[in-house]
Order: sequence, then C-alpha cells, then structure tokens
Amino acid sequence: MNDQIHKITNNEWEIPMDFVPGMRVPGRFFLSENLAETLEDGALTQLANVATLPGILRYSLGMPDIHWGYGFPIGGVGAFDAETGVISPGGVGFDINCGVRMITTPLHVSDIPDMKGIIEDLFTAVPTGVGSKSPIRLSQNDLSSMLEDGAKNAVEMGYGMAGDIPRCEENGAMGGAQPEHVSKKARQRGIPQCGTLGSGNHFLEIQVIDDIADEATAKTFGVSEGQICVMIHCGSRGLGHQVCTDHLQILESATKKYGIELPDRQLACAPLSSPEGEAYFGAMAASANYAWANRQIITHIVRELFVKKFQVDYEEMPLVYDVAHNVAKWEEHEVDGLRQKVCVHRKGATRAFGPGRAELPHEFRACGQPVIIPGSMGTSSYLLAGTQGAMEKTFGSTCHGSGRVKSRSSAKKCQTGEEVAHALLEQGIIVRAPNQAAIAEEAPDVYKSSSEVVQTVHDAGISRIVARLRPLGVIKG
Amino acid sequence: MAIEELEHTADIRMRISAPDLSSLFSESGSALAKTLYGDYPFETPTVSFSIEAEGKDREELIVNFLSELLFLTETEYLVPQKFTLTVGDSVSGTVEGVLFDRKKHAGGTGVKGISYSGLSLTGTKTGYELIIIFDI
Repeated sequence: MNDQIHKITNNEWEIPMDFVPGMRVPGRFFLSENLAETLEDGALTQLANVATLPGILRYSLGMPDIHWGYGFPIGGVGAFDAETGVISPGGVGFDINCGVRMITTPLHVSDIPDMKGIIEDLFTAVPTGVGSKSPIRLSQNDLSSMLEDGAKNAVEMGYGMAGDIPRCEENGAMGGAQPEHVSKKARQRGIPQCGTLGSGNHFLEIQVIDDIADEATAKTFGVSEGQICVMIHCGSRGLGHQVCTDHLQILESATKKYGIELPDRQLACAPLSSPEGEAYFGAMAASANYAWANRQIITHIVRELFVKKFQVDYEEMPLVYDVAHNVAKWEEHEVDGLRQKVCVHRKGATRAFGPGRAELPHEFRACGQPVIIPGSMGTSSYLLAGTQGAMEKTFGSTCHGSGRVKSRSSAKKCQTGEEVAHALLEQGIIVRAPNQAAIAEEAPDVYKSSSEVVQTVHDAGISRIVARLRPLGVIKG
Repeated sequence: MAIEELEHTADIRMRISAPDLSSLFSESGSALAKTLYGDYPFETPTVSFSIEAEGKDREELIVNFLSELLFLTETEYLVPQKFTLTVGDSVSGTVEGVLFDRKKHAGGTGVKGISYSGLSLTGTKTGYELIIIFDI
C-alpha cells in the first residue's frame, strides 16, 4: 500500500487531501489486508482525482472491488452538492445502468437433471454476444415509451408481471428521463438490441442457494436454502454506450466553458444545473430506463422457458430485486447533520439503502434493500442487505462484484476456454458462450475472491450477508 | 504496420503502428474489428459504406472515426475487410466488408466505447504509433 495512505479501521483506508493537487475532500476506500495487495496505482490516482471535482461531498469513495476504470475507478462512488456540484459520464461509465437482477424459482437441484440442456435452451432463447439481434421489433414510438417508463413499459408490452416493478431500484424507471437528448444514432443502436444480453462480463446464471446467513431476512427476501435462482447481469447495450460517447464530447466542451479545472480529461463534466449537465442527466436516465426494460425482457424469456421445461407457474418465479451499477441519481442523504438532495454517482457500485428508506418496497423497509453481488463463473454470488452503516459511510452504497485482477490477454495465455470450461465442469458448473475466448477471458481466477470482497463490505458494515449462491450453469456473452 | 495487444486489467489496450496516418487509421479500424470478431477470414467485400469523422485534434479524430466504425458494425452488422481513407484535419473514405455471420465472426467481444484513457497518437522515426483502449 502507498505510504501516503492512512489506515482508519481494519477495512477502511484514507487518501489524504494532498495526494493529488486540488483535492477538495479526502478519499476513502474499503479493502481487507489481503485485498490491499490488489489495489492498482492507477485506481488510487483515479479515486484521488475524483476528489478534485467541484461540489463533491465528504469523500471520494472506493468499494473493495475497486480497479482501474475510465474517469472514476470501477467501484467508485461520489456524491455531489445540488448547487455547486457536477455530473460526469466518467462517474457512470459507457454502460449506463449495467446492473443485475435475481429471480427465484420453486425448483431444487434434483428438479433439473439436465442442466446442460436448460443452459443450451437459454443460450438459444436469449440473444447473446456480438451481433445478436433482439427477439422483438420496436418502433420509434415503442422505444420512446421504453426510454420514459423502463421496466414498466416492458411489463405493459407483456414482458413480466406488475409485481416486478416495485422490486426494481427506482421502480425500474428513473424520473427525469429526456428521450429528446438521446441521439438518432443511439436510437438506431437501441432498437435492434433490446432484450439481448451483450458480451464481456455480462451473464445469465442458474444458481442454487447453498447457505443462509440470516434466516429472517432471507425469508423476507423470499429465498431459502436449496432453492434454484437465476441471476441476469447486463445493461443498456449500444444505446447507452452511444449516449455516453455523444455526451462526453458535449461535456468536454462544457468543462472548458464553465472554467472547471480537471486533472484528467476523462472526468469531463458540467455543473448539475447547467443545460449540458441537465441534458446528460436526461439522456442517462432514459438509457437507464432502457436497461431496466432490457433486463425485464430477458427475465420474461427465462420465465417462459422455465414454464415450458419444468411446468412451474410463471408467477412462481418472482423478482427478488434489480439493482443498477452504473448510474448517477438524485437521492436524499444526511450530510454534516443535514438531510439534503445530492447527486450520487455509482460507477461499478451498488445502492445499499438501509432500513427505513421510503424508496424501498414496504416489505423490505425493516431489513434494508436486497443487494445482489455476483461472483465469477466458478465462484459464489451473494445476496446481502443494505445497512444504516452504508447510509452513514458511503451514501448508501456497497460493492458491485469481485473486480478484475488479471487482463484478458494474460487470462487467455494461462488457459484456453476449453480448459476453463472443463475445470468448471469438474466442479459441476456448465458454461456456454459464443466462443471459447469469452470463457478464457472470464475464468474465475481473473477476479478477486467474491467471498473476500463480500466479507469486506460485511465487516465494514456497509451491507450484510444474507445468503450465498453457488453457480450451476452460466451463459457468458 | 502492426497491431499489438498490451496489458490492461479490465479493457482492451492496443498499440498500432503504421507508416502514415491513413494506414494508421485503417489499422486501428482493423484492430477494432479484431476485438469485436476475433480472427476472422478475409473475404471479398459484399457491402460498402462511406465513413466520415471530424475532431478538434488528432486524438479526437481517431476516437470519432472508431466510434463511427463501431456504430456501423452494430447498426449495419458490418464486418470490415478493407478501408480506403483520406486523413487530414478530418477523415473520410469507405469501409468495405461482409455482413456478420455467427459461424465465422463470433470470436470476439463487444466494445462499449472508444476511450480517451491513456490515449496517445505520436510520430515515430518510421511513421505513427497509436495506443488506445477499447472499453469492453
């Protein structure tokens, strides 16, 4: 660890204000001693650079899955004052509202004797990888509705149940969406891709709950040991990527226009109250809504297949929750004893609201928000709950996954896709992807240990473990 | 001319060198296509698209050019095979290719955007060198 960094507690570290010139607040990040070895200098500098942005409140924050990103590090969180603060695509990322959701089923492992068969059927049913096309044909008007209403729009089109909506962060549609700031190009990319999984670290995984840490909360979330669940991780596809590309250019010019000094061009930003800042927010919110609709449509495809294959009722596969990873949102938080409206950027981080928040479905208000943390193909995923500690320390945020530690090129040099798939099969995990390289690049050992990352956020008190899920079959994009 | 993949934890980082700017832009287009589609066979092009981009400087020009190419790959299902480009203060020309076929071209990974992170476009003794990250 860099000798300028101070240890605050066992899992919490501080970057002092003189780490890079112009820091307005210190940095704070959460890493166990073991994970501290994985911290890249580039990520540390990015975390410090974020602290130079106008209007940043309290700390530039890093979660234990922190790694080198674009502008903000992945695993970065920053909250900005409504009047003096800025908004930056570098704090959201190219894949706006990349996120994850989890549905439960009434099935147990013994109910799925042919895991390979169901994975193959899912791979055929859910368009996956580069060049995949949507199963539905959207008109421009359909797309506009989707950009406004997100998951609700998908449900209205027949892709899901009304009960899914309150189980999504923001009820599956952020307010303030302005489809008019989504370019024609972004629309052209979005129309053929709605209901597609994408590639890279996006996945669809069948899992079994193999350990319950908190019976009462697990019951509230509707999960129990031995239950088969499905996790879906994807985002806003080309539409969101294009919105980021388009608005980065606008905000680059705006940065100069508003006289904002930046240590890094990738932190291009504009005041929250400026026309450029508001336009980006409106387009970003519209993209976030598209992403919620995208995950909703994929959920529907999965449920339909399970109904057909296992004779379960569609309604027996409720959504536990859906969380956003890459997004900037208006939220109310207590800052220096005063409750105020702030814009929270989460870049590869998960909202983890604690008990009592009005944004949560009534049934979850006493225990805190469900937090879904995926592992890698061969490692456990976790269901956690948001905590009061997160409200106090991290603007209601926690980690979003494990965080990569090895490049794709070195991963491919270590093992072929066939070798990785074979090793996973020996552990009872079926993996399917459009190509073998995709499997090699996402091998379990290219990520930090999901268990260690999750234990760190649990120990730091910024979310608490409820259940552990073991992978059985996975589709990689 | 050369395309070399460099180490990067999360994304794809490429070093591309070429004797002149037009070749550098063509090679960078090929590097993007290789990332998207893996090592795919050369075929006689069956489709052709014009491509244009502008930028305040050469760095913005290459980012905008590659963003345009990415747009064509996603909306037209274009797999590039051949570039014919004129590069000066702006870039214009054509990109010829074939249409995406999962059997031949599904060997790569999606690119979300062209990053300014660590971007450098420099003159060398033998031409130009570009280091660029594709956000995946």
